[in-house]
Amino acid sequence: MTSIILLSVFGIINLFLGFLKSNKILLPAVIIFLAIVFGVNFLDWNNPQSHFNNMLTIDNFAVAFSAVMVLSLALILPFSRSYINSGNPHLAEFYSILMFSLVGAIMMVSYENIIMLFLGIEILSIAMYVMAGSHKKELRSNEAALKYLLMGSFATGILLFGFALIYGASGSFNIAEIASFSSNTTATDLLPMMEIGVLLVLVGICFKIGAAPFHFWTPDVYEGTPTLFTTYMSTVVKTAGIAAFYKLVWAVFPGLNEFWYPTLVAITVLTLVIGNIGAAIQTSFKRMMAYSSIAHAGYLLIALTSFNDYSENAVLFYALSYTVATVAAFGVLKLVSDQREGETYEMFNGLGRTNPLLAFAMTVAMCSLASIPLTGGFFAKFFIFGSAIEAGAVWLVVVAILMSAVSIYYYFRVVMAMYMKEPVGEKVAVDGFAAFMLIFLSIFTFIMGIFPGWFNNWL
Amino acid sequence: MQQIQVPENNAAMALICLLIPLLPFIGFVINGLGNGKLPKSVVTLVGCGSVLVSFLLSIYLFISFPAGSVGYTTEIFNWIKVGSLSIPFAFQIDQLSLIMLLLVTGVGFIIHVYSAGYMSHDPGFGKFFAFLNLFIFSMLLLVMGANYAMMFIGWEGVGLCSYLLIGFWNKVTPYNNAAKKAFIMNRIGDLGFLLAIFLIFMTYGSVTYSEVFTQAPTLPVSSEMITAITLLLFVGAMGKSAQLPLYTWLPDAMAGPTPVSALIHAATMVTAGIYMVLRSNVLYTMAPITLEFVAIIGLATAVFAASIGLFQNDIKKVLAYSTVSQLGYMFLALGVMAYSTSFFHVLTHAFFKALLFLGAGSVIHAMSGEQDMRNMGGLRKALPVTFITMLIGTLAISGIPPFAGFFSKDEILAHVFEHNKIMWAFGLLASFMTSFYMFRLMFLTFFGGFRGTEEQRHHLHESPKSMTLPLIILAILSTIGGFMGLPPVFSENHSLGNFLAPLFTASQQLNPEAFGHHMDHATEYMLMGISVVVALIAAIIAYVIYVSKKSVPAAEGTETGLHKLIYNKYYIDELYDSIIVKPVMGLSTGLYRFVEKGIIDPVVHGFGRITMGGGRGLRVLQSGAIGSYLLTMVAGIILILVLNYIMR
Repeated sequence: MTSIILLSVFGIINLFLGFLKSNKILLPAVIIFLAIVFGVNFLDWNNPQSHFNNMLTIDNFAVAFSAVMVLSLALILPFSRSYINSGNPHLAEFYSILMFSLVGAIMMVSYENIIMLFLGIEILSIAMYVMAGSHKKELRSNEAALKYLLMGSFATGILLFGFALIYGASGSFNIAEIASFSSNTTATDLLPMMEIGVLLVLVGICFKIGAAPFHFWTPDVYEGTPTLFTTYMSTVVKTAGIAAFYKLVWAVFPGLNEFWYPTLVAITVLTLVIGNIGAAIQTSFKRMMAYSSIAHAGYLLIALTSFNDYSENAVLFYALSYTVATVAAFGVLKLVSDQREGETYEMFNGLGRTNPLLAFAMTVAMCSLASIPLTGGFFAKFFIFGSAIEAGAVWLVVVAILMSAVSIYYYFRVVMAMYMKEPVGEKVAVDGFAAFMLIFLSIFTFIMGIFPGWFNNWL
Repeated sequence: MQQIQVPENNAAMALICLLIPLLPFIGFVINGLGNGKLPKSVVTLVGCGSVLVSFLLSIYLFISFPAGSVGYTTEIFNWIKVGSLSIPFAFQIDQLSLIMLLLVTGVGFIIHVYSAGYMSHDPGFGKFFAFLNLFIFSMLLLVMGANYAMMFIGWEGVGLCSYLLIGFWNKVTPYNNAAKKAFIMNRIGDLGFLLAIFLIFMTYGSVTYSEVFTQAPTLPVSSEMITAITLLLFVGAMGKSAQLPLYTWLPDAMAGPTPVSALIHAATMVTAGIYMVLRSNVLYTMAPITLEFVAIIGLATAVFAASIGLFQNDIKKVLAYSTVSQLGYMFLALGVMAYSTSFFHVLTHAFFKALLFLGAGSVIHAMSGEQDMRNMGGLRKALPVTFITMLIGTLAISGIPPFAGFFSKDEILAHVFEHNKIMWAFGLLASFMTSFYMFRLMFLTFFGGFRGTEEQRHHLHESPKSMTLPLIILAILSTIGGFMGLPPVFSENHSLGNFLAPLFTASQQLNPEAFGHHMDHATEYMLMGISVVVALIAAIIAYVIYVSKKSVPAAEGTETGLHKLIYNKYYIDELYDSIIVKPVMGLSTGLYRFVEKGIIDPVVHGFGRITMGGGRGLRVLQSGAIGSYLLTMVAGIILILVLNYIMR
């Protein structure tokens, strides 16, 4: 709870810091703010409380996912150095918008009332529409923002319609009451209304997390959005969406699980296949990462379909390991593409010789995303598959494993380009903070892969 | 076997337990990252210092260990927890792991110091110490782990280090081949070990020692499952501890630097198999069939390897076959359920075999790399310290009282005598051959006239202090080491046996027969007398042949008859080559040509083409136009509604 208030206040303070002549102070200030929020967030650990007339509940689930998302933002921001150096006049606004959007993300994981879920999604999404178009003079950025806005509004409409139908059937926005309604459906003839509402909500959320067949915006928007904000989209937004979805299907619609389960499984399989196969044919690294984020949404959906003692922790672990690897990959991409034009695989040629550190960090990130042992990504998938097998969905795991075999192809293309091709350009200049972050992210990935027990079984 | 947590100082104990393996690991990281950059003095300090501190900490653990306790475990963190599988990263401290700790860090430290002198001219100095520290770390994990998964990690880690160190001089192809051979042979054993772990988990639902061993007696004795588990575990031990038929890698492993041979291929790593059987002694006690098999394999290895050792001319090869043979002895002891006796021999063998290898290293160092004993001779004047210490080692291994080997070997033979008289006779034969080849080695190397080149004679020198000091320490240990296990005729108090006793209580309950002592003193004196006489006769024969008659083994290729067969190690390598390696190579060439090229490649490429084709199909949908995206989305929503309502 305190973290939401603090983030809002810090966001406003940050806007005022933007009036200062030098923008050098902004980045350290934001990092310190986020560190404070990260620490304060844990005050609510093991101390579940309900706020604002049961609008929000801060429980361990909310605290853990909030921590992952605050950490994500803190990991992403050090790569914003090029904005500082170029003297971008809107830097303070960028940082503040990201912090405000984080408030929405935290609401999405702590809602007790589906109106709060809707508000959280919108706070996050509207911030993202702005960030997608933040490079105002760049056509790609404009296109991304417009596409995201149009399609996002469409999805919002569907989501809201779904909420309205659920309200119509159950007579409440409170998730406990909806849950009790949905688990006692024999006494009502409003069941079809409820069911259609559930399906529409499912569709709306699937759009937000980029699950197939509602993923079409993802590659175009990710590609056009400035890399820093793409990173934010594929980590924080995805984590918030999946956590909200997890809570939704298991806390709000548990009584209807026989109804929505087949649909969700179908969406999961489709997402896995389209994400992985789509990524395999890309020539742009950034577009590949967009498809890869679709594919990872698919793996996370597997945990959603298999609700048991392990799936909650599996989602948390996966979100953390995926975040760490994705931030590292996009961080290297940003550093390299700022100085070498383009976003293709060829841009990375020979990076292993000119910039061993960048190449190493990228390799670790790719290994983690492809779930090679000793990296966090290995245990992330292991836990997800473990919980799915526990739930009896063996064939789903088989599909997922086949698809992760495909993923090795596209993740290792960049590794091959870095180590086996002739360099295409000069050494890429890397500032100290970014280099430190890349080393930190690599070590973190290894720690998660070697000591998974430290990060598992929190919930 | 009940495990208790240490009641007080738990956190401090956990820290000490963690530091013991962690320090060598830190040493590995420092020396590994600083390879080629750090000066040799720093490398030596880090390499030896980390092991020394581990050794001191181990001594502390040993002293503070509550007497007569059944040991304790300290959990560092929960390593893997998935479903019903839970593997904590925990250390088990009990009599067995404590003594192994002292052995690994103590002998390890001595050999580190020796290496500082031995490797001082080598360009790969830093790399060598990094690998050596990594080995100590892995070996400590192996002996300290509180479950089979941790033992397996250590097991693989020492295998890796062994591979790296055998092929340390990686510019020489035969050395690399020796390294590969060791690795592959070990992998065969590892597969057995891994399968055994799976079976243990399947049967007992856990891989943690305390849980497995307390549940173990729920299975009936000699049931198929327990026999399968123990046999598979033993397959692992056969690979790591070089038993028939997986022993051929160990003699080849002598390609590595001599300190490596002493540390890894004599004192510590190769005894991992014995450690594993001792650790699982409850399981083995429940599987008499496996025990009999272990005893037979051990005895066969002891005799077979000793006979090969009779006519080898490479000083390190003799010691290598001797190691294989002595390991066979230890398994023979395990097979007749003389568990603590086997461990006794592990300890004494570690002392005298490390001593002999380091002594051989000192000789090789003085001879500028020469390893062929036919080119040595008369070295006792030039290398007095090496000569005396090696003589002590030889007396110890041959079983001459009061040196260490006498007590442990005699105890093994006594147990075997109780078990089966024929086995005892064969054991005695191996003992005879051991004494012969060891004295042959001594006489050829240190007696008679010098047979090397003028240049070598000129260069002859005693080794530096850092090399002779370890020799002296090990010589003292080889002399007095046997007193920790005096036979019943001399003393009622077998201190090592009493110390280890809590480890075997469960086994003893299962089979009290095997733990009782039934032998009267007269028989015991007789057995002792026989083995000493046999060893002395062998020594005298060797003296007559190699000193009185001054005969020198013939040049390469002129051996005849049985001698030729033995000199060529019974052509076992050639046999393996023709019955295993060649057919496998042939099979894989065939598979490559027909199956790989004809079937698998087209299928795989087909899948690739399908994936790419599917991707191109997707690309058509991904047109970039918002209108078509929305249309597809609406189509998706309609499809979901249709499938949910109309189709159902």
